[in-house]
Amino acid sequence: MHIPDGFLNMATVASTYTISVGGVANAVRIANKKLGEKQVPMMGVLAAFIFAAQMLNFPVAGGTSGHLIGAALAAILLGPWAAVIIMSAVLIAQSLIFQDGGLLALGANIFNMAIIASFSAYYIYRLAQSLLGDSGKGQLIGVFAASWGSVLLASIACAVELAISGASPWGVVLPAMAGVHALIGIGEGLITSAVVSLVLATRADLMRLQKI
Amino acid sequence: MRHSFLDQYSDRDSLIHRLDPRTKLVSTFLFITAVALTPPDGWVSYALYSAILAIWLMLSRVPLGYVLKRSLVVLPFVVLIAIFIPFFREGEIAGSYNLWLWQVSVTHSGIIILRNILIRAWLSVLSLILLTSTTKLPDLLRGLEQLHMPRVMVMVLSFMYRYIFVLVDEVMRMKQARDSRNFGGRRWWQIRTVGNMIGTLFIRAYERGERVYAAMMARGFDGQSRTLKRLEFKPADAYFGLSLGTLVIWGNLINLI
Repeated sequence: MHIPDGFLNMATVASTYTISVGGVANAVRIANKKLGEKQVPMMGVLAAFIFAAQMLNFPVAGGTSGHLIGAALAAILLGPWAAVIIMSAVLIAQSLIFQDGGLLALGANIFNMAIIASFSAYYIYRLAQSLLGDSGKGQLIGVFAASWGSVLLASIACAVELAISGASPWGVVLPAMAGVHALIGIGEGLITSAVVSLVLATRADLMRLQKI
Repeated sequence: MRHSFLDQYSDRDSLIHRLDPRTKLVSTFLFITAVALTPPDGWVSYALYSAILAIWLMLSRVPLGYVLKRSLVVLPFVVLIAIFIPFFREGEIAGSYNLWLWQVSVTHSGIIILRNILIRAWLSVLSLILLTSTTKLPDLLRGLEQLHMPRVMVMVLSFMYRYIFVLVDEVMRMKQARDSRNFGGRRWWQIRTVGNMIGTLFIRAYERGERVYAAMMARGFDGQSRTLKRLEFKPADAYFGLSLGTLVIWGNLINLI
Protein backbone atom coordinates (compact mmCIF):
# COMPACT_ATOMS: atom_id res chain seq x y z
CA MET A 1 0.00 0.00 0.00
CA HIS A 2 3.09 2.26 -0.03
CA ILE A 3 2.47 4.60 -2.98
CA PRO A 4 5.70 5.35 -4.92
CA ASP A 5 6.40 8.72 -6.53
CA GLY A 6 4.99 9.26 -10.01
CA PHE A 7 1.47 8.00 -9.35
CA LEU A 8 -0.11 11.02 -7.66
CA ASN A 9 -0.83 14.41 -9.21
CA MET A 10 0.27 17.64 -7.60
CA ALA A 11 -3.14 18.57 -6.18
CA THR A 12 -3.34 15.25 -4.31
CA VAL A 13 0.28 15.55 -3.14
CA ALA A 14 -0.29 19.06 -1.79
CA SER A 15 -3.57 18.32 -0.03
CA THR A 16 -2.43 15.07 1.60
CA TYR A 17 0.82 16.71 2.73
CA THR A 18 -1.15 19.54 4.33
CA ILE A 19 -3.44 17.15 6.23
CA SER A 20 -0.58 14.89 7.30
CA VAL A 21 1.68 17.70 8.51
CA GLY A 22 -1.22 19.11 10.54
CA GLY A 23 -2.12 15.66 11.91
CA VAL A 24 1.43 14.82 12.96
CA ALA A 25 1.95 18.26 14.52
CA ASN A 26 -1.23 17.83 16.54
CA ALA A 27 -0.20 14.31 17.59
CA VAL A 28 3.18 15.61 18.81
CA ARG A 29 1.45 18.37 20.77
CA ILE A 30 -1.01 15.99 22.44
CA ALA A 31 1.68 13.41 23.28
CA ASN A 32 3.87 16.16 24.68
CA LYS A 33 1.08 17.32 26.98
CA LYS A 34 0.35 13.81 28.27
CA LEU A 35 3.83 12.30 28.35
CA GLY A 36 6.21 15.24 28.60
CA GLU A 37 9.82 14.46 27.80
CA LYS A 38 9.07 10.74 28.12
CA GLN A 39 7.45 10.72 24.68
CA VAL A 40 10.73 10.88 22.77
CA PRO A 41 12.42 7.66 23.98
CA MET A 42 9.10 5.81 24.29
CA MET A 43 7.78 6.65 20.81
CA GLY A 44 11.23 6.04 19.30
CA VAL A 45 11.60 2.57 20.80
CA LEU A 46 8.02 1.61 19.92
CA ALA A 47 8.47 2.81 16.33
CA ALA A 48 11.54 0.57 16.15
CA PHE A 49 9.32 -2.22 17.54
CA ILE A 50 6.77 -1.84 14.71
CA PHE A 51 9.63 -1.74 12.22
CA ALA A 52 11.12 -4.97 13.64
CA ALA A 53 7.71 -6.67 13.92
CA GLN A 54 7.15 -6.06 10.21
CA MET A 55 10.11 -8.35 9.53
CA LEU A 56 8.17 -11.39 10.78
CA ASN A 57 6.35 -12.99 7.87
CA PHE A 58 3.43 -15.38 8.11
CA PRO A 59 1.92 -17.58 5.39
CA VAL A 60 -1.15 -16.14 3.61
CA ALA A 61 -2.24 -18.30 0.69
CA GLY A 62 -0.68 -20.07 -2.25
CA GLY A 63 2.91 -19.71 -1.07
CA THR A 64 2.73 -15.96 -0.52
CA SER A 65 3.41 -14.38 2.82
CA GLY A 66 2.32 -11.20 4.50
CA HIS A 67 3.49 -9.14 7.41
CA LEU A 68 1.92 -6.91 10.02
CA ILE A 69 1.25 -3.24 9.20
CA GLY A 70 0.90 -2.41 12.87
CA ALA A 71 -1.27 0.73 12.95
CA ALA A 72 -4.14 -1.11 14.62
CA LEU A 73 -1.85 -2.75 17.19
CA ALA A 74 -0.26 0.59 18.08
CA ALA A 75 -3.65 2.37 18.25
CA ILE A 76 -5.22 -0.32 20.48
CA LEU A 77 -2.27 -0.56 22.87
CA LEU A 78 -1.27 3.10 23.07
CA GLY A 79 -4.08 5.22 21.63
CA PRO A 80 -4.64 6.86 18.22
CA TRP A 81 -2.39 9.93 18.50
CA ALA A 82 0.55 7.88 19.75
CA ALA A 83 -0.06 5.51 16.83
CA VAL A 84 0.02 8.47 14.41
CA ILE A 85 3.50 9.46 15.67
CA ILE A 86 4.81 5.89 15.64
CA MET A 87 3.45 5.00 12.19
CA SER A 88 4.64 8.31 10.69
CA ALA A 89 8.15 7.63 12.00
CA VAL A 90 8.01 4.12 10.52
CA LEU A 91 6.78 5.43 7.14
CA ILE A 92 9.41 8.19 6.97
CA ALA A 93 12.14 5.65 7.72
CA GLN A 94 10.74 3.18 5.18
CA SER A 95 10.72 5.85 2.49
CA LEU A 96 14.23 7.10 3.30
CA ILE A 97 15.89 3.72 3.94
CA PHE A 98 14.08 1.28 1.67
CA GLN A 99 12.43 3.61 -0.87
CA ASP A 100 9.26 1.85 0.20
CA GLY A 101 6.89 4.71 -0.64
CA GLY A 102 7.99 7.88 -2.41
CA LEU A 103 9.10 11.24 -1.06
CA LEU A 104 6.30 13.30 -2.63
CA ALA A 105 3.86 10.49 -1.87
CA LEU A 106 4.91 10.48 1.81
CA GLY A 107 2.05 12.83 2.72
CA ALA A 108 -0.47 10.46 1.18
CA ASN A 109 1.13 7.39 2.75
CA ILE A 110 1.10 9.00 6.21
CA PHE A 111 -2.51 10.04 5.68
CA ASN A 112 -3.60 6.49 4.74
CA MET A 113 -1.50 4.26 6.96
CA ALA A 114 -0.85 6.51 9.96
CA ILE A 115 -3.90 8.75 10.30
CA ILE A 116 -6.82 6.84 8.72
CA ALA A 117 -5.62 3.40 9.87
CA SER A 118 -4.91 4.46 13.47
CA PHE A 119 -8.14 6.36 14.05
CA SER A 120 -10.40 3.84 12.35
CA ALA A 121 -8.80 1.00 14.35
CA TYR A 122 -9.14 2.88 17.62
CA TYR A 123 -12.80 3.80 17.16
CA ILE A 124 -13.85 0.42 15.80
CA TYR A 125 -12.18 -1.16 18.85
CA ARG A 126 -13.91 1.25 21.23
CA LEU A 127 -17.27 0.64 19.54
CA ALA A 128 -16.84 -3.14 19.73
CA GLN A 129 -15.90 -2.87 23.39
CA SER A 130 -19.00 -0.89 24.24
CA LEU A 131 -21.17 -3.40 22.33
CA LEU A 132 -19.53 -6.65 23.46
CA GLY A 133 -18.29 -5.72 26.89
CA ASP A 134 -14.87 -6.04 28.46
CA SER A 135 -14.62 -9.82 28.46
CA GLY A 136 -11.57 -11.51 26.94
CA LYS A 137 -13.48 -12.87 23.98
CA GLY A 138 -15.29 -9.61 23.28
CA GLN A 139 -12.00 -7.78 23.36
CA LEU A 140 -10.38 -10.13 20.84
CA ILE A 141 -13.34 -9.84 18.45
CA GLY A 142 -13.02 -6.07 18.73
CA VAL A 143 -9.29 -6.27 18.01
CA PHE A 144 -9.89 -8.41 14.94
CA ALA A 145 -12.60 -6.10 13.58
CA ALA A 146 -10.47 -3.02 14.27
CA SER A 147 -7.41 -4.40 12.48
CA TRP A 148 -9.40 -5.65 9.51
CA GLY A 149 -11.31 -2.39 9.21
CA SER A 150 -8.19 -0.25 9.49
CA VAL A 151 -6.42 -2.10 6.66
CA LEU A 152 -9.52 -1.95 4.45
CA LEU A 153 -10.20 1.76 5.06
CA ALA A 154 -6.55 2.68 4.50
CA SER A 155 -6.54 0.80 1.19
CA ILE A 156 -9.76 2.53 0.12
CA ALA A 157 -8.20 5.92 0.89
CA CYS A 158 -5.19 4.87 -1.17
CA ALA A 159 -7.44 3.82 -4.08
CA VAL A 160 -9.34 7.12 -3.95
CA GLU A 161 -6.08 9.10 -4.13
CA LEU A 162 -4.88 7.05 -7.10
CA ALA A 163 -8.19 7.40 -8.94
CA ILE A 164 -8.35 11.17 -8.35
CA SER A 165 -4.81 11.45 -9.71
CA GLY A 166 -5.85 9.59 -12.85
CA ALA A 167 -3.32 6.85 -12.26
CA SER A 168 -5.99 4.19 -12.49
CA PRO A 169 -9.72 4.16 -13.34
CA TRP A 170 -12.18 4.14 -10.41
CA GLY A 171 -13.82 0.93 -11.57
CA VAL A 172 -10.53 -0.95 -11.38
CA VAL A 173 -8.50 0.47 -8.56
CA LEU A 174 -11.28 0.58 -5.97
CA PRO A 175 -12.40 -3.07 -6.17
CA ALA A 176 -8.80 -4.25 -6.73
CA MET A 177 -7.34 -2.48 -3.70
CA ALA A 178 -10.33 -3.16 -1.46
CA GLY A 179 -10.51 -6.81 -2.53
CA VAL A 180 -6.83 -7.54 -2.01
CA HIS A 181 -6.75 -5.74 1.31
CA ALA A 182 -9.92 -7.38 2.60
CA LEU A 183 -7.82 -10.57 2.44
CA ILE A 184 -4.64 -8.99 3.82
CA GLY A 185 -6.78 -7.53 6.62
CA ILE A 186 -7.73 -11.04 7.77
CA GLY A 187 -4.04 -11.80 8.33
CA GLU A 188 -3.58 -8.47 10.11
CA GLY A 189 -6.62 -9.20 12.28
CA LEU A 190 -5.49 -12.71 13.24
CA ILE A 191 -1.94 -11.61 14.09
CA THR A 192 -3.06 -8.54 16.05
CA SER A 193 -5.56 -10.66 18.04
CA ALA A 194 -2.83 -13.19 18.79
CA VAL A 195 -0.54 -10.39 19.99
CA VAL A 196 -3.24 -8.85 22.18
CA SER A 197 -4.21 -12.22 23.66
CA LEU A 198 -0.57 -12.80 24.63
CA VAL A 199 -0.31 -9.35 26.20
CA LEU A 200 -3.60 -9.96 28.06
CA ALA A 201 -2.34 -13.30 29.38
CA THR A 202 1.10 -12.15 30.49
CA ARG A 203 1.06 -8.39 31.11
CA ALA A 204 -2.58 -7.34 31.29
CA ASP A 205 -1.48 -4.04 32.87
CA LEU A 206 -0.01 -2.99 29.50
CA MET A 207 -3.51 -3.12 28.02
CA ARG A 208 -4.61 -0.44 30.47
CA LEU A 209 -1.94 2.13 29.66
CA GLN A 210 -3.01 5.73 29.37
CA LYS A 211 -4.34 6.11 25.81
CA ILE A 212 -2.97 9.06 23.92
CA MET B 1 24.03 -9.84 13.50
CA ARG B 2 23.43 -8.79 9.90
CA HIS B 3 22.27 -5.24 9.27
CA SER B 4 23.89 -4.67 5.90
CA PHE B 5 20.49 -3.88 4.37
CA LEU B 6 20.26 -0.55 6.22
CA ASP B 7 21.70 2.49 4.43
CA GLN B 8 24.22 0.52 2.41
CA TYR B 9 27.08 2.45 0.71
CA SER B 10 26.27 5.58 2.73
CA ASP B 11 29.60 5.32 4.59
CA ARG B 12 31.71 5.60 1.43
CA ASP B 13 33.50 8.70 0.31
CA SER B 14 32.86 10.70 -2.86
CA LEU B 15 32.06 14.18 -4.02
CA ILE B 16 28.34 13.54 -3.41
CA HIS B 17 28.87 11.85 -0.04
CA ARG B 18 30.72 14.95 1.19
CA LEU B 19 27.89 17.34 0.25
CA ASP B 20 25.73 18.83 2.99
CA PRO B 21 22.65 16.64 3.63
CA ARG B 22 20.43 19.71 3.19
CA THR B 23 21.75 20.23 -0.34
CA LYS B 24 21.01 16.63 -1.23
CA LEU B 25 17.55 16.65 0.37
CA VAL B 26 16.45 19.83 -1.37
CA SER B 27 17.95 18.69 -4.69
CA THR B 28 16.18 15.34 -4.53
CA PHE B 29 12.89 16.99 -3.62
CA LEU B 30 13.28 19.48 -6.48
CA PHE B 31 14.17 16.71 -8.90
CA ILE B 32 11.17 14.53 -7.99
CA THR B 33 8.82 17.54 -8.14
CA ALA B 34 10.13 18.46 -11.60
CA VAL B 35 9.66 14.87 -12.78
CA ALA B 36 6.09 14.87 -11.45
CA LEU B 37 5.29 18.14 -13.29
CA THR B 38 6.59 17.03 -16.68
CA PRO B 39 3.86 16.57 -19.32
CA PRO B 40 3.46 13.10 -20.88
CA ASP B 41 5.17 14.02 -24.16
CA GLY B 42 8.15 15.77 -22.59
CA TRP B 43 10.78 13.54 -24.10
CA VAL B 44 13.52 16.19 -24.01
CA SER B 45 12.89 16.73 -20.29
CA TYR B 46 12.97 13.02 -19.54
CA ALA B 47 16.23 12.64 -21.47
CA LEU B 48 17.72 15.55 -19.54
CA TYR B 49 16.60 14.10 -16.20
CA SER B 50 18.15 10.75 -17.08
CA ALA B 51 21.42 12.50 -17.98
CA ILE B 52 21.36 14.36 -14.64
CA LEU B 53 20.84 11.06 -12.82
CA ALA B 54 23.69 9.42 -14.75
CA ILE B 55 26.12 12.20 -13.79
CA TRP B 56 24.83 12.13 -10.20
CA LEU B 57 25.43 8.37 -10.07
CA MET B 58 28.93 8.64 -11.56
CA LEU B 59 29.96 11.35 -9.09
CA SER B 60 28.63 9.33 -6.15
CA ARG B 61 30.45 6.10 -7.16
CA VAL B 62 27.59 3.87 -6.04
CA PRO B 63 27.50 0.66 -8.15
CA LEU B 64 24.97 0.89 -10.99
CA GLY B 65 23.82 -2.71 -10.48
CA TYR B 66 22.93 -2.03 -6.86
CA VAL B 67 20.89 1.07 -7.75
CA LEU B 68 19.02 -0.71 -10.54
CA LYS B 69 18.26 -3.71 -8.35
CA ARG B 70 16.95 -1.46 -5.57
CA SER B 71 14.73 0.42 -8.03
CA LEU B 72 12.71 -2.78 -8.58
CA VAL B 73 10.95 -1.90 -5.31
CA VAL B 74 8.31 0.03 -7.32
CA LEU B 75 7.40 -3.07 -9.34
CA PRO B 76 4.67 -4.59 -7.12
CA PHE B 77 2.73 -1.36 -7.16
CA VAL B 78 3.08 -1.00 -10.93
CA VAL B 79 1.90 -4.56 -11.47
CA LEU B 80 -1.04 -4.18 -9.11
CA ILE B 81 -2.26 -0.74 -10.21
CA ALA B 82 -0.83 0.73 -13.38
CA ILE B 83 -0.84 -2.29 -15.63
CA PHE B 84 -4.63 -2.11 -16.06
CA ILE B 85 -4.73 1.46 -17.35
CA PRO B 86 -4.33 0.73 -21.09
CA PHE B 87 -7.22 -1.75 -20.98
CA PHE B 88 -9.74 0.48 -19.27
CA ARG B 89 -8.91 3.92 -20.57
CA GLU B 90 -11.39 5.15 -23.16
CA GLY B 91 -10.12 6.53 -26.43
CA GLU B 92 -8.71 5.58 -29.80
CA ILE B 93 -8.10 1.86 -29.90
CA ALA B 94 -4.53 0.79 -30.56
CA GLY B 95 -5.17 -2.89 -30.83
CA SER B 96 -7.52 -5.56 -29.61
CA TYR B 97 -6.86 -9.16 -28.81
CA ASN B 98 -8.88 -12.22 -28.08
CA LEU B 99 -7.78 -13.76 -24.84
CA TRP B 100 -9.69 -16.99 -24.41
CA LEU B 101 -13.20 -15.69 -23.61
CA TRP B 102 -12.42 -12.01 -23.38
CA GLN B 103 -12.15 -9.40 -26.06
CA VAL B 104 -9.41 -7.11 -24.78
CA SER B 105 -8.63 -3.77 -26.35
CA VAL B 106 -5.81 -1.39 -25.64
CA THR B 107 -6.13 2.38 -26.16
CA HIS B 108 -3.48 4.88 -27.20
CA SER B 109 -4.15 7.33 -24.39
CA GLY B 110 -4.00 4.48 -21.88
CA ILE B 111 -0.58 3.40 -23.12
CA ILE B 112 0.69 6.99 -22.92
CA ILE B 113 -0.49 7.32 -19.31
CA LEU B 114 1.05 3.99 -18.33
CA ARG B 115 4.35 4.86 -20.01
CA ASN B 116 4.39 8.24 -18.29
CA ILE B 117 3.73 6.74 -14.84
CA LEU B 118 6.44 4.15 -15.33
CA ILE B 119 9.05 6.74 -16.34
CA ARG B 120 8.12 9.09 -13.50
CA ALA B 121 8.07 6.38 -10.86
CA TRP B 122 11.39 4.99 -12.02
CA LEU B 123 13.24 8.33 -12.26
CA SER B 124 11.92 9.36 -8.83
CA VAL B 125 12.88 6.14 -7.10
CA LEU B 126 16.37 6.25 -8.65
CA SER B 127 17.01 9.72 -7.25
CA LEU B 128 15.68 8.66 -3.84
CA ILE B 129 18.05 5.65 -3.86
CA LEU B 130 20.95 7.98 -4.73
CA LEU B 131 19.99 10.22 -1.81
CA THR B 132 19.96 7.42 0.77
CA SER B 133 22.98 5.54 -0.51
CA THR B 134 25.11 8.69 -0.27
CA THR B 135 23.87 10.04 3.08
CA LYS B 136 23.92 8.36 6.49
CA LEU B 137 20.52 8.43 8.15
CA PRO B 138 21.70 10.43 11.22
CA ASP B 139 23.06 13.10 8.84
CA LEU B 140 19.84 13.05 6.86
CA LEU B 141 17.87 13.58 10.07
CA ARG B 142 20.10 16.47 11.08
CA GLY B 143 19.47 17.97 7.65
CA LEU B 144 15.73 17.54 8.08
CA GLU B 145 15.90 19.27 11.44
CA GLN B 146 17.75 22.23 9.90
CA LEU B 147 15.04 22.34 7.25
CA HIS B 148 12.50 22.82 10.06
CA MET B 149 11.01 19.40 10.47
CA PRO B 150 9.51 19.43 14.03
CA ARG B 151 12.29 18.77 16.54
CA VAL B 152 10.35 16.15 18.47
CA MET B 153 9.72 14.14 15.31
CA VAL B 154 13.44 14.26 14.42
CA MET B 155 14.33 13.05 17.92
CA VAL B 156 11.77 10.23 17.74
CA LEU B 157 13.24 9.24 14.39
CA SER B 158 16.81 9.21 15.70
CA PHE B 159 15.79 7.09 18.69
CA MET B 160 14.02 4.78 16.31
CA TYR B 161 17.15 4.50 14.18
CA ARG B 162 19.20 3.77 17.30
CA TYR B 163 16.89 0.97 18.47
CA ILE B 164 16.06 -0.60 15.10
CA PHE B 165 19.37 -2.46 15.30
CA VAL B 166 18.72 -3.68 18.84
CA LEU B 167 15.16 -4.86 18.10
CA VAL B 168 16.04 -6.40 14.74
CA ASP B 169 18.70 -8.40 16.59
CA GLU B 170 16.00 -9.44 19.05
CA VAL B 171 13.76 -10.56 16.17
CA MET B 172 16.59 -12.51 14.55
CA ARG B 173 17.37 -14.31 17.81
CA MET B 174 13.68 -15.20 18.22
CA LYS B 175 13.52 -16.43 14.63
CA GLN B 176 16.58 -18.59 15.15
CA ALA B 177 15.08 -20.07 18.31
CA ARG B 178 11.78 -20.69 16.52
CA ASP B 179 13.33 -22.30 13.46
CA SER B 180 15.56 -24.58 15.54
CA ARG B 181 12.39 -25.90 17.21
CA ASN B 182 11.04 -27.21 13.91
CA PHE B 183 8.62 -24.40 13.06
CA GLY B 184 5.96 -25.28 10.52
CA GLY B 185 2.71 -27.15 10.47
CA ARG B 186 -0.73 -25.74 10.07
CA ARG B 187 -1.28 -22.12 9.10
CA TRP B 188 -3.27 -21.29 12.24
CA TRP B 189 -0.49 -22.65 14.42
CA GLN B 190 2.11 -20.56 12.55
CA ILE B 191 0.02 -17.41 12.88
CA ARG B 192 -0.31 -17.94 16.62
CA THR B 193 3.44 -18.43 16.94
CA VAL B 194 4.19 -15.22 15.04
CA GLY B 195 1.57 -13.41 17.14
CA ASN B 196 3.22 -14.61 20.34
CA MET B 197 6.63 -13.51 19.06
CA ILE B 198 5.35 -10.02 18.25
CA GLY B 199 3.61 -9.82 21.62
CA THR B 200 6.81 -10.78 23.44
CA LEU B 201 8.70 -8.26 21.32
CA PHE B 202 6.21 -5.55 22.32
CA ILE B 203 6.55 -6.27 26.03
CA ARG B 204 10.35 -6.25 25.77
CA ALA B 205 10.34 -3.07 23.68
CA TYR B 206 8.01 -1.29 26.12
CA GLU B 207 10.14 -2.28 29.10
CA ARG B 208 13.27 -1.22 27.23
CA GLY B 209 11.66 2.16 26.53
CA GLU B 210 11.02 2.64 30.26
CA ARG B 211 14.61 1.66 31.13
CA VAL B 212 16.01 4.00 28.48
CA TYR B 213 13.86 6.85 29.79
CA ALA B 214 14.94 6.19 33.39
CA ALA B 215 18.60 6.12 32.34
CA MET B 216 18.17 9.38 30.44
CA MET B 217 16.45 11.06 33.38
CA ALA B 218 19.30 9.93 35.64
CA ARG B 219 21.67 11.75 33.28
CA GLY B 220 19.69 14.98 33.31
CA PHE B 221 17.57 14.69 30.13
CA ASP B 222 15.28 17.70 29.77
CA GLY B 223 13.62 17.04 26.42
CA GLN B 224 16.37 18.54 24.29
CA SER B 225 19.13 16.77 22.40
CA ARG B 226 22.44 18.51 21.87
CA THR B 227 24.93 17.51 19.22
CA LEU B 228 28.47 18.64 18.58
CA LYS B 229 28.69 18.15 14.85
CA ARG B 230 27.66 21.23 12.92
CA LEU B 231 26.50 21.12 9.34
CA GLU B 232 28.63 23.06 6.93
CA PHE B 233 27.47 24.63 3.70
CA LYS B 234 30.56 24.49 1.48
CA PRO B 235 31.25 25.94 -2.00
CA ALA B 236 30.74 22.46 -3.49
CA ASP B 237 27.17 22.54 -2.15
CA ALA B 238 26.50 25.83 -3.88
CA TYR B 239 27.91 24.54 -7.20
CA PHE B 240 25.97 21.29 -7.02
CA GLY B 241 22.71 22.87 -5.89
CA LEU B 242 22.83 25.69 -8.39
CA SER B 243 23.74 23.54 -11.39
CA LEU B 244 21.15 20.88 -10.54
CA GLY B 245 18.49 23.51 -9.84
CA THR B 246 19.13 25.33 -13.11
CA LEU B 247 19.16 22.13 -15.15
CA VAL B 248 15.98 20.79 -13.59
CA ILE B 249 14.05 24.05 -13.97
CA TRP B 250 15.32 24.47 -17.51
CA GLY B 251 14.30 20.89 -18.26
CA ASN B 252 10.80 21.67 -17.07
CA LEU B 253 10.44 24.99 -18.90
CA ILE B 254 11.58 23.47 -22.18
CA ASN B 255 8.09 22.03 -22.61
CA LEU B 256 6.45 25.43 -22.47
CA ILE B 257 8.42 26.87 -25.38
